Amino acid sequence: MNLLFAVIGCVLGTLIGVLPGLGPAAGTALLIPLTFKLDPTAAIIMLSAIYYGAMYGGTITSVLINVPGEAASVVTCLDGYEMAKQGRAGAALGVAAVGSFIGGTVATFGLVLVALPLTRFALKFGPAEYFSLLLVGLSLVMGLAGKSLAKALVMGVLGLIFSFVGVDPVEGAPRFTFGIAPLMDGIRFVPVVMGFFGIGEILINAERSLVGVIANEGRVASFFPRRDEMGISVSSIIRGTGLGFFLGLIPGTNSAVASFMSYAIERKLSRHPERFGTGVIEGVAAPETANNSYANAALIPLFTLGLPGSPTIAILMGALIMNGLTPGPLLFSQHATFVWAVIASLYIGNVILLVLNLPLVGLWVKILKIPYNILMVFILVFCIIGAYSLNNSLFDVGMMIVCGLLGYLFKKLDFPLAPAILTLILGPLMERSLREALSMSQGDYTIFLTRPISLFFLVLAAVILATSAWQAWPSAIREESKEAQV
Amino acid sequence: MSRVNTLVWGILIAFGAFIVHQSLGHSYYGIDFGPGPGFFSFWLGLLLIVLSLIQLIMIYRRPAEPLPDGFIPSREGMKRILSIMGALAVSLAVMNFLGFALTMTAFCVFLLRRLGRQPWWQTLVLSAVAGFGTAYLFGLLQVVLPRGFLGVI
Repeated sequence: MNLLFAVIGCVLGTLIGVLPGLGPAAGTALLIPLTFKLDPTAAIIMLSAIYYGAMYGGTITSVLINVPGEAASVVTCLDGYEMAKQGRAGAALGVAAVGSFIGGTVATFGLVLVALPLTRFALKFGPAEYFSLLLVGLSLVMGLAGKSLAKALVMGVLGLIFSFVGVDPVEGAPRFTFGIAPLMDGIRFVPVVMGFFGIGEILINAERSLVGVIANEGRVASFFPRRDEMGISVSSIIRGTGLGFFLGLIPGTNSAVASFMSYAIERKLSRHPERFGTGVIEGVAAPETANNSYANAALIPLFTLGLPGSPTIAILMGALIMNGLTPGPLLFSQHATFVWAVIASLYIGNVILLVLNLPLVGLWVKILKIPYNILMVFILVFCIIGAYSLNNSLFDVGMMIVCGLLGYLFKKLDFPLAPAILTLILGPLMERSLREALSMSQGDYTIFLTRPISLFFLVLAAVILATSAWQAWPSAIREESKEAQV
Repeated sequence: MSRVNTLVWGILIAFGAFIVHQSLGHSYYGIDFGPGPGFFSFWLGLLLIVLSLIQLIMIYRRPAEPLPDGFIPSREGMKRILSIMGALAVSLAVMNFLGFALTMTAFCVFLLRRLGRQPWWQTLVLSAVAGFGTAYLFGLLQVVLPRGFLGVI
């Protein structure tokens, strides 16, 4: 019976992930009532399956229609959608499914083997370490630069500025709200992403006639990468697994950070970074692996220490408590049967997800055969309902429409969108960590240098920035001399 | 293209200046030893101004660049874009009054007729599915949607 609930959870989770705006947190919360009649083990198995099923579901819309189903799938749009335009949607979804399976499975084994010692290490992360780690993430923004470093930096700055809209996290003072009540909650990430990527792309496509246009013939040439891409896919999956697993152990990060950092690292390590954004397989394999590895690893601090690492995990924690199980150090000793059943279901759930979704890739890709003018209208409806369902607010829909127009203009002017999205996520986390760290040290900035883990990350960030600037300098000079010759 | 770029960087400089000005209205230092609410936005606004100024100077150092082909959409393309934005704006304005399903149905009818060449029956069926179908699906997921004056979702 538990297997059946894992299957149901995977199916529901994938559907939740496909529907834009709902996301794993909202989807898990909405489906908790379904589990009231189940015994605790079955309930948690089903909810966990919904959680990591949603991680995969978000990939489908990212690849096929450039609308990310949830935050962690945003970066998949960059190369996944390009692959779909080239008739390689099957390969993109296939590698995402396999990478998600490997990332999730390795994270599950990690849960079994190294949960406690790794969690003890992760607990050494205080606000100073968080800030320095997020600075590493920010430095990787330069890895998302594309053609123009200056434009990427400007977009990063804009994302940070918009992330500060709302209420100051420490003093509670409203910032940049201009008396508009909905802005007190800040600029929500989902409407911005759906506007930039979904509506922006539709407006770009609307410049040409849409009559008789089909997004893609919908043929699935292959579910897998080409032979020459196998090696790079494997190494990207390995790196994504490691990064996602590590970040999942740290409470307070989120899956979008894991997928963005994974993408930026792949770009940094690639011999041809200029190809990212044009449909490279590692641009899908790495972030998708990282986000599923993160999703499973984030259960480790929950089970071992009772610490929820993300909003979705917090909801799972609530479900555990509702079922009479208190997550924490005593969970393993007092409810060993339950814990091991759930861990086994994580592994089996990953297998189910792979078995369920690989054959369905052909079905999902058929969506692309729908005439684009019809598909586009349905995408707009889903975007509207997705933005509205966040908070039952038309303000979020309005925000999405404005971001759609901005996204269109930014694309026309060649401003990359990914840096703005990354800094929109990182901004509040960084500000809170910095201010908490300085509060702890009573204003002494050397706290970031005297704590070894923080110092390590700061040095890493400096190295990344220096090498990115060093690599960007010759091409900037080449651009200048080319223009001077013209 | 140089003129367009000049305009864009000029807007960003103005926006940066606006951010700096707004930040000055918040405390620079916090009550808890760290930066205050105005700290980050002040420096980010300044950074935006500096980056944009550098780009503006580089534009003037370079020879003028023409607009790339296709940069400005054709007349029909512009009409399509305006139709989509107009439909989105009007839907937003009337959704609370008409309700989600009716608004989305009308939205779909308008855009499908404007942007495609489906027969009327296909347009109406697709619009009904998009409007009422999605409302029903999200209703099952307990997402509360605007009902409008008719009390229909």
